[in-house]
Amino acid sequence: MKTIKLIGIVASLVFGLVACSGGSGGSSQPPPPPPPPDPITKAEAFQFLNQTTFGATRAEAQRVMDLGFEAWIDDQLGRPASLQLPYLQSLPRPQFLFELQPDRVDVWFKNALHGGDQLRQRVAFALSEIMVVSQLGVLGDLTYSLADYYDVLARNAFGNFRDLIERVTLHPAMGMYLSMLGNEKPNPVLNIRPDENYARELMQLFSIGLVELNLDGTQKLDAQNQPIPTYDQSTIEGFAHVFTGWTFAGAANFRQAFPNDANQVIPMQLYPTFHDGGSKALLGGVVIPAGQTGDQDLADALDNIFDHANVGPFIAIRLIQRLVTSNPSPGYVARVARVFNNNGSGVRGDLGAVVKAILLDVEARPDLRIDIDGKIKEPLLRLTQLWKAYDATSASGRYPINFAFVVFGQGPLQSPSVFNFFSPFYAPPGEIRNGGFVAPELAIATEYQNTFVTNYVFYQTFVWNQANAANLQPDEVYIDFAEEMQVASDIDALINMVDDKLLAGQMSETLRTEITGMLERTSETDAALRAAETIYLVVTSPEFAFQR
Amino acid sequence: MPKFNRRDFLMASSAAASTAFGSTPGLAYSQIVGGGAPFNDYRALVCVFLFGGNDSFNMLVPRSNAEYNVYAQSRQNLAIDQQDLLAINPLTSDGVQYGLHPSMSSLQSLFEQGSAAFITNVGPLVEPTSKDQYFNRSVALPPQLFSHNDQQDQWLSLKGSATSKTGWAGRMADLIRINVANQQMATNASLFGSNLFQSADETIAYVMGPTGPLQFEGFSQDPASILFEQRNAFTRVVDAEYPSIYERGFAEIQRRAIDAADTVTAAIESAPTLETVFPMSQLATQLSTVARLIAVRDRLQMQRQIFFVAAGGFDSHDNQNQDQPGLLADISESIAAFYRATDELGVADSVTTFTQSDFGRTLTSNGDGTDHAWGGNQLVLGDGVRGRDIYGTYPLLQIGGNDDVGGGRMIPTTSADQLAATLAKWFGIPDIDLDIVAPNIDKFAQRDLGFMA
Repeated sequence: MKTIKLIGIVASLVFGLVACSGGSGGSSQPPPPPPPPDPITKAEAFQFLNQTTFGATRAEAQRVMDLGFEAWIDDQLGRPASLQLPYLQSLPRPQFLFELQPDRVDVWFKNALHGGDQLRQRVAFALSEIMVVSQLGVLGDLTYSLADYYDVLARNAFGNFRDLIERVTLHPAMGMYLSMLGNEKPNPVLNIRPDENYARELMQLFSIGLVELNLDGTQKLDAQNQPIPTYDQSTIEGFAHVFTGWTFAGAANFRQAFPNDANQVIPMQLYPTFHDGGSKALLGGVVIPAGQTGDQDLADALDNIFDHANVGPFIAIRLIQRLVTSNPSPGYVARVARVFNNNGSGVRGDLGAVVKAILLDVEARPDLRIDIDGKIKEPLLRLTQLWKAYDATSASGRYPINFAFVVFGQGPLQSPSVFNFFSPFYAPPGEIRNGGFVAPELAIATEYQNTFVTNYVFYQTFVWNQANAANLQPDEVYIDFAEEMQVASDIDALINMVDDKLLAGQMSETLRTEITGMLERTSETDAALRAAETIYLVVTSPEFAFQR
Repeated sequence: MPKFNRRDFLMASSAAASTAFGSTPGLAYSQIVGGGAPFNDYRALVCVFLFGGNDSFNMLVPRSNAEYNVYAQSRQNLAIDQQDLLAINPLTSDGVQYGLHPSMSSLQSLFEQGSAAFITNVGPLVEPTSKDQYFNRSVALPPQLFSHNDQQDQWLSLKGSATSKTGWAGRMADLIRINVANQQMATNASLFGSNLFQSADETIAYVMGPTGPLQFEGFSQDPASILFEQRNAFTRVVDAEYPSIYERGFAEIQRRAIDAADTVTAAIESAPTLETVFPMSQLATQLSTVARLIAVRDRLQMQRQIFFVAAGGFDSHDNQNQDQPGLLADISESIAAFYRATDELGVADSVTTFTQSDFGRTLTSNGDGTDHAWGGNQLVLGDGVRGRDIYGTYPLLQIGGNDDVGGGRMIPTTSADQLAATLAKWFGIPDIDLDIVAPNIDKFAQRDLGFMA
C-alpha cells in the first residue's frame, strides 16, 4: 500500500513537471485527482490509539478508521478538558484534605477511562511527567491544589507553551513543591539569598535542559568537542532573584502564609515588599534592569526562557518519548521542533500543533518494523488499556487506587521527586545501552516492580472479574470478560477475541501456543478460568508491554 | 533505491550520539582479579544514598569556639547551638574539636567506640581543585555542578566529564565476576530501584524491594498444580525471540525476576530471626532486609556483595530546621541498628556501610532552607573501619573563604574517587585495577585514605 502511495506521489510530480514545462503553451489539462489515502488498518488504528489515548479499544479503532488520523486529532483538539477539581469540591470536605487523595486518583482514572478528551488527558499526563509536582511530600495535604494543577495541565495541553509555563510557575502547588512560594529578596546581613530551587528545575527539567541543543535535539559541541552548558550558577541566581515575592494569594502575612481551600487553587500573588529590585542576569547575556515590578521581572524572565532555541527540541523529545517512541531520529525531533518554533501561522509554542505534528509524522506510523521504533508502555497505561478494553468498574463506581505508585512504580502526581518516575535518558544495560539508545520506562520495570505488576494482573484477571463480582469489596475494580466466557469452550475463538481486543489481532505464535497449551489443561466448562488465564498471559507478556 | 532504514542512518551518522543521548563503548578488562580464584572470605559494602543532598555541615560541626563562631556566622538561623552539639573525640586531632548534630546520639556512640569514621568535605572532583583554579577554569571540573541528577551520577559513576554509563559498584562486580562465579545471586543488589551505581558492562544488578524479592502469586513449584504449568508457560513466553529491543529488554528483566524469586525468597525465609530491633523507617526496613540477606550468605554462596539502599527527603530548600533533626536521627538510628545486626551475625568486620549524597548544601540560608552546593561529610561504619577518626581536611566554613565558591559552597578537599578507591581496595580490588573503579584516582596523591584496616 505504501508503494502505491509513493507511485502516486511520483506520478503527480512527473505530471506536474510536464504541465509546468508546457505552461506557456496554455495547457488546460486538469491536475490528476489526489490519490486516495491508504485505508487505515486495525493494527495502525491500535498503534495510533495507544499513542493518543489511555488504551486502544475496538470501538475507537473503528472511529479512527472511519475518520482518518488527522480528523480524529482535530476533533480531539477541540474537546474541552475533563476536570478533577470540580469533582473533588463536590464531595464533602473532610477534616484533612489528604483524605481526598484516593478521590483525586479516582477522578484521574475516570477521566483516563471515560473522558471524551482522551488526547488532551494523555498529553496532560505526559506534561505531568515533565513539569512534576507530587502528592508525596509537602503537597500531601493540598489535594485541591494538586487536582487544580492537573486541570491546568489539561486545559493548557493544546495551548501555548508560554502560557503553560506561566501558569505552572505561579501555581501554588508548584510554588510549594519547588519552594518559590515564600521566596524573598536577599538579606546580606543574615547571609540570606534567594531560593534557587525553582529557577534551576524550571530550566533543567521543564524547558531548556542543561546543554545547548541543535534543532534536531543533538547536542551542540564546542571547539573541544564538549557540550555547551545552557546556563551557569550566575544565571540560576538571576532567575532565583526574579522568583522572589510570591506567596498564597491574599495571605495576611507573607512569611507565615498558609493555604486555605480557596487560595491553593488560584495563582500565587506578588507581595512587592519581598521582591528583589535589583538587576538580574538571565540566559544569553540578557540582563533585566533594576527597579522593575515583580510582574514585569517574571514576564521578562519567562519570555527569556521561552525564546531559548532549546525549548522546541527539548519539548519535542520529551513529548515524543511519552507518546510515540523512546528514540526518535534527529529528523523527527527537528520536524516537530520546527512546528514548535512556528506553527505555520507565525506562532511559537503552539502545543496543539506540536502534538499533531508528533502524531502525524511518518515516524509515528513506521511501516517497517525497525527494532528501535516504539517504546515500553508505562505500567499505569498498561493497566488503563486493560481496563478500557474490559470495561473495568467497581460496585461503588470508583477507582480509588491511591497505592498506584507502590504497585506500578508510578501514579497520577505520585512521583518520588521532581525528576519523575524515570529519566528521559535511562538506558538499561545490554543492547539498548550498548547501541546508544534509551528506554526510560524500563527504569521502573525492575525485577521487583514487574513482579508487583504481574501479581496485580494475576488478581485482576483471576479474582477481580465480573464473574466474581458478588464476592468483591465495593471499591475493588473488576474487569468484565463475559463475552470471552460466551466463547470459552472454543479455545481458538477465545484467544482470537482477546487478541482482537488487546493486541489488534497481532498475537505472536509463541504466545498463542502457550495460551492454547494452558487452556487445554482446563475444563471447557470453566469459562471464567479460561478467560482469566488468556487475559493474564496476554497482559503480562512482553508484546503487550511494548507499544509499537 | 537502496533499502536504507532509520537504523542504518543512526549507525552511519557521524555524531556518535545519533539520538540525543550519546554513546560510549564498554570498558575492556585486561585484568582478572587474582587469576579468577574464589575469595577466601566474605565482604560486603552497603551504600546508603541520601537523596536530595544532605546538609552534612550540620551533621559534623566544629565545636571549638573560634571555628564554631565562623560556622555560626555563616549559617545564621540554620546553625546548631554550640552547647547542643554531641561531643566526639577523634584519635587524631587537627587542633579543632568537633561535635555531631544533637539528633545523632547513636552515631556518637558508634564513633566513640571506634566503629564509625567521617570522610570530611568529600565530593566529585576530576583533579585537585583550588578556588583560583575553579574560577580560572584551569582544571577540569565535574559537569553540571549543583544539579541533583548530575551530581548523583558523579557520585555513583565517578566518571568525571565522561558520559556516565556504568557505576563504580558495577565496575567492581565486573572485575571480580570470575572470582564469584558460584554466587547464587548477583554481586550487586538494590533495595531502592535501578541505579547507576550498580550498572555495569558485564554483570547485572538484581533489584528487589525494601523487604526483599516478591514471589509470583500465580506460580507454584508443585508439579501437580496448574500454577506450575502457568509458570512454565509464562517463562516460555518470556524466553521467546522478540523483534524489538524494548520487548527484549523487558523480557530479560522478567527472566531475572523469575530466576531470582525462588532462590532468594527461599533463602531469605530461612534466615534466623534477629534479636536486633530496627526502627520504623524506610531506610531501616531496607537495612534490616540487607541484614537478613547477609545472614544467608553461605546458603547463597555469596563471597562479595554490594547493597544499595537509600533514604530521601534531604533536599531541604524549605523548613530545614524542622526537617533536619528527623532525617539525621533516621540515619543515626537505622545504621546503628544495622551495625548491631552485623555484630549479632558475627560479620561486623566484614560489612562496611558508607553514605553518599548528591552534594553538600550552601552554608548560607535562603530564608528557611539551603540550596545545592558541592563538598560534604560522609560516614563510614563497620569494624573493618579505622574508626573514631575524621579523614580528610575539614574546610573553612567562611563565606568568601578559601574553600567557598560562593554562598558557602565548599570545594571538596577530598575526592569521591579517593573514598571509592579506599573501599574498593578493602573489597578486594587490586591496586592496579583501582583506576577502573575510580577513573580519576591517579590525579590524587593519596590513593588510599587509610580509613579501612
